[in-house]
Amino acid sequence: MKDREGQKEPLTPTEGWLAIQNTLDSSRSAMYLAGWPTIALLWGVIVAAGYLSHYAVETFAAPFAEDYPWFPGALWGGLGFVGMVASSVIGYRASRTNAIGRTAASVGLRVFFFWMSVVAAAFIVPAASGMWTSDTDADAIRGVAIGIVALGYILFGILHHAAIALVGVGIAGAFYAPTHFAGDAAFVVSAVLMLMVVVAAWVWFRKSVGA
Amino acid sequence: MSDGPIVLNDTIHQATRLRIMTLLAYQSETERVAYGFIQKTLHLTGGNLTVHLRKLEEAGYVATTKEFLRAKPRTWVQATPAGRRAFDEYLSNLERTLQMPLR
Repeated sequence: MKDREGQKEPLTPTEGWLAIQNTLDSSRSAMYLAGWPTIALLWGVIVAAGYLSHYAVETFAAPFAEDYPWFPGALWGGLGFVGMVASSVIGYRASRTNAIGRTAASVGLRVFFFWMSVVAAAFIVPAASGMWTSDTDADAIRGVAIGIVALGYILFGILHHAAIALVGVGIAGAFYAPTHFAGDAAFVVSAVLMLMVVVAAWVWFRKSVGA
Repeated sequence: MSDGPIVLNDTIHQATRLRIMTLLAYQSETERVAYGFIQKTLHLTGGNLTVHLRKLEEAGYVATTKEFLRAKPRTWVQATPAGRRAFDEYLSNLERTLQMPLR
């Protein structure tokens, strides 16, 4: 029903209270999601590039891989650094298009530290558990690291948008399934699946949420 | 606190304007929020948002500024001190109406 101004009938107090709660939830999540689809896409590309480079070196430059057995650490460390810097720039620019002020800056910092903690944990947990210095299979180290990153997506998704949690599940699946079923081609299959997951998430998010 | 009938501010107590004021009043005092962000977050059309912002601006509750960000025009909206006071008062009255704390 509409009143003389062509607007809906006035709210009841209870509807007003619900409108306030819903607005707080949606505005908070929208701020936390600034730039998220692009950052997710970026990390998908980075991880896929890492898998493909790793596969290419081990397959086509086997002597190099034998002479420099530490090359995976350098490769992933370098890619991780590029990803962290690029994510920070993308997140900063995206948040500046939403709002300028203390609240937006505080949200940006929280998101930054959340993901930096996830990335740091992906390196530190295998190191602290002695996996890097023992004869642990490299796949197991990667498995732990990817598991932590996927957990980061799932936790962030539970807090802000269920679709992000699904991306986390997709990222885990894109690594674990090929590792067990694709044999020597596991890296290539993982790279392709990872790209498919993040591109699908990016397209879906841009269309439905517009973040 | 008055014992008289509780009157909810008509300018704020409207579905769209209440959501706009909520989004703006819960930011820090100097926070400027992008017009596009409000539109996207509250799922409003440009026309609808403009009409309600104008009404809030006429009441002195919000202020808009326009500037260029990376060569693109951008409209910023922020709650004025009067708007924050009116929203606080609205919340107090709503609390009294519902007889429950909202903050």
